[in-house]
Amino acid sequence: MSGTGGLALATHGLRKNYGSRHALDGLDLTVPAGVVYGFLGPNGAGKTTTMRVLTGLIHSDGGTIELLGRPYKRGDRRRLFEVGALVESPTFYPYLSGRSNLRELAASGAHVPAKRIEELLDLVGLCERADDKVQGYSLGMKQRLGIAGALLSDPKLLLLDEPANGLDPAGIVAMRDTLKALAAQGKTVFISSHLLAEVQVMADVVGIIAAGKLVREGPLKDLLAMQGVVKVRVRPDLVDGAVKTLASLAPAEPLTETAHDQGWLAVHVSGDRAEDINRTLAGAGIFASGLESGSDLEMLFLELTGGQALGNGEGNFVGLAANGSVAGDAGAGEKGTAA
Amino acid sequence: MRLFFSGLRKLSRRPATYVTFGLLVGLIVLIVLAVGATADSIGKGANTATRSAAMKELVTFPGAYDRMLQFILGFGGLLAMIYGAAIAGSEWGWGTLKSSVARGESRVRYMLVSFASVGFVVGIGLVLAFAIAIVAAVAGANLAHVSTNGLSDSATIGQLPLQLVKGWVSMLEQTALGFTIATLARSQLAGIGVGIAFYFGEAFATILLPDVVKYMPFAVANAAASTGSGGGAFGGGGGGVIATLPADQALAFVFVWLIGALIVTAIFSSRVEISG
Repeated sequence: MSGTGGLALATHGLRKNYGSRHALDGLDLTVPAGVVYGFLGPNGAGKTTTMRVLTGLIHSDGGTIELLGRPYKRGDRRRLFEVGALVESPTFYPYLSGRSNLRELAASGAHVPAKRIEELLDLVGLCERADDKVQGYSLGMKQRLGIAGALLSDPKLLLLDEPANGLDPAGIVAMRDTLKALAAQGKTVFISSHLLAEVQVMADVVGIIAAGKLVREGPLKDLLAMQGVVKVRVRPDLVDGAVKTLASLAPAEPLTETAHDQGWLAVHVSGDRAEDINRTLAGAGIFASGLESGSDLEMLFLELTGGQALGNGEGNFVGLAANGSVAGDAGAGEKGTAA
Repeated sequence: MRLFFSGLRKLSRRPATYVTFGLLVGLIVLIVLAVGATADSIGKGANTATRSAAMKELVTFPGAYDRMLQFILGFGGLLAMIYGAAIAGSEWGWGTLKSSVARGESRVRYMLVSFASVGFVVGIGLVLAFAIAIVAAVAGANLAHVSTNGLSDSATIGQLPLQLVKGWVSMLEQTALGFTIATLARSQLAGIGVGIAFYFGEAFATILLPDVVKYMPFAVANAAASTGSGGGAFGGGGGGVIATLPADQALAFVFVWLIGALIVTAIFSSRVEISG
């Protein structure tokens, strides 16, 4: 666990400019110790810049950082001995094997016991390919090796930039379990990611930034409770009537983006009010053929970031958000079928 | 020391180490054996005897010791610069420096220790290349039917350690130059390209500015390692220099360039923002 205040990481008014552009514009982060913290934001919001500042790769133009309970200033490089990081894409010597790369990386920074390398290769599932040259690794394997590299010095704080990049589904599940296990051991895992669904199932606390500023931060459960949505499916010819009926409860809007959406309504209420909605509709003689309750990080993200598209070709997040669907990729909440 | 040994391990497995060394040694062996094999059969015509004698002189000991060393320092200097640029540039290009800095490693220490590893490998390469060149020269002498009696000339052999050390320092300076250029460029290719351009640019500049060029890095490196035997004609930058500094003075300038290059590397590494 961290030092004072139980915080693993805090930034106050962190600023970084690239010419006239404000990459970080007074960023205030508060990352409790022993949690998985999801750091979200659209492209260019300042996530990677924040990572670079935190790992000493670039220097901030203003603001302060507290790392593991103590101030972290320029030149305090030894403080990073307690931090593991994977910033942007993992980087290795292509002509060396995975094992050799970890060995040579371990020669810098904090001392690493030799057996730690074998433990980590086992942890990330690379034992069988550990002696192969990295230039023959797939993106996912490099990512696994990068995560192993970040864990070399058994860090108290782990900073991971898009850790799921290139991982196959099994790899993502394994990574998620590993990171959760680390948090359960009292370590803090700070994940910058575009994969909102992944963050939603993994993070305890979320911070969302846009244009270099924090726009929302807090426990994921609390944020999602404020951003509830219940989806109801009625006969398409009853959609208008259902919208009017539900107006007394909460604003409802029909989903019309695709044929699959026909008859679906999104009702912006807390997920635990699905029963009220069902009862209200039934009272008006409208019977739901489908009901999904839950909350959606995507919606919250889009609302807070002004609906900025990710624009990086990752999945179909923008399309899903546009039609308001919360099923599938969002992986949100409970699902059930009524009637 | 673990960073230094890590550097040595990395270099020992790096293909560029063997390609560079192989290029240098391969060229020397090829030339020496070709000279030995053809010295007695270079055809007929004017100056045939003079040319044959000149060719035989290359493989005649004890002078061959110096000529082999000068060849290694001349062509090897260019290769050392390229090698230094390749090593430093890859740390930036591959992002491996970034990973170490993010682990809390000192940028300056990392770069300077990396250079020390490269310098050590260059030293080993110099000694090995020299040993192989001598063996090739003996073989060349046999092919040319030249006596190898001078091989055991004690006076020449006694001078060799000092000559090798001076040569190593000269190569270190050229390695440092490539290392620094690649660091400033943060790229292997740019470092190598600019380094080569600098090398040949200095050679061409001797035509116009000989009094200036004699203080330039490649010229002083060649002059510092020179024994005054007229060797070093393979040396590109310094090889064609008309005016050269005395060896001791040149050695002082070699140190100036070497230390200056490393200071620039250290300052740049400590201040630059690492991204990408």
